[in-house]
Amino acid sequence: MRMINQDEEVEAEVTWEDQQNINSFSKLNVKFSDIEERYEKKREEHEYLNDLLVDLEQQELLDECELVRYKIGDAFISITLEDAVQRTKEEKELLSEELQKLKNEMDSLTTEMDKLKESLYGKFGKAINLEKD
Amino acid sequence: MSTRQLEKSSSDPAEELVMNPRGIPKVQFVENVDDFMSKASFEATLGKFQETVAKYKFMEFNYMNRKKGLETRIPEIKKTLTVVEFLISMQDSDESIETTFELNDTLWAAAKVKSTKTVYLWLGANVMLEYELQEAKELLETKLSTAQSTLDFVIEDLEFMREQITTMEVNIARVYNWDVKRRRHSKTDQSEEKS
Repeated sequence: MRMINQDEEVEAEVTWEDQQNINSFSKLNVKFSDIEERYEKKREEHEYLNDLLVDLEQQELLDECELVRYKIGDAFISITLEDAVQRTKEEKELLSEELQKLKNEMDSLTTEMDKLKESLYGKFGKAINLEKD
Repeated sequence: MSTRQLEKSSSDPAEELVMNPRGIPKVQFVENVDDFMSKASFEATLGKFQETVAKYKFMEFNYMNRKKGLETRIPEIKKTLTVVEFLISMQDSDESIETTFELNDTLWAAAKVKSTKTVYLWLGANVMLEYELQEAKELLETKLSTAQSTLDFVIEDLEFMREQITTMEVNIARVYNWDVKRRRHSKTDQSEEKS
């Protein structure tokens, strides 16, 4: 929060409603960064799974009954390529769903924050700064 | 977020003690700076407000650590759950499971594991207990959902604390500005007297 400069001082009293808007904005801001971080991590994982799937499917063309070591928990288990592809696909599917959910959440947060921004900037003008630094 | 009012009968809003569902107090919003400052000195008020912010920040820091702890524990439980689910999918098979597992850092060994109906879960405090696969799965699922709901509460509390800190910071800025304006007025008063 920035102090008000003399030359851009706006004579607007902060009401409880304004305060609640400011609070919501600050809260949503933190929430957004949190989700953004999670989204980034999951997106990366999703990419890895995609690469893995391409590799596995190529391998499958060469030798179908080949066993691969697939990591489950902390240990590698030897399973057939077919199973490995199946497992990877399932995992990827799950991750895609989660990504979509996070994306939706981020979108609705942005809309909500834009609404608050509009109302707060409308009242306080330059006396308030809601941009990310 | 729901809040609970302890003293609904109180007519003076300043004396209402409002808390969130887990007993974290809500800070007071300064409705009118002039009225508020007529009751206390500028330095004392500013000091008190800053102290409140410091308290909330300390609590926020503790909760952040709790959040981090839970955020590492949840994937761990999920990982164990996947293994148990894998064992369940193999429990009726006669073939043994071929696995490469970690003996120590950078040292791996191969093993053949016969399909099993039970596993041992490490419960903490040097205790390990044998569970049937289905039981183990249920136990882990309960643990997972407890951890998840604790995390939800911690996040909710963190959001609540963030709101209190913001309110307090705005209070501080407004009281500070009020003082700046007061000083400016007294200066212009003085210079008017001189001329």
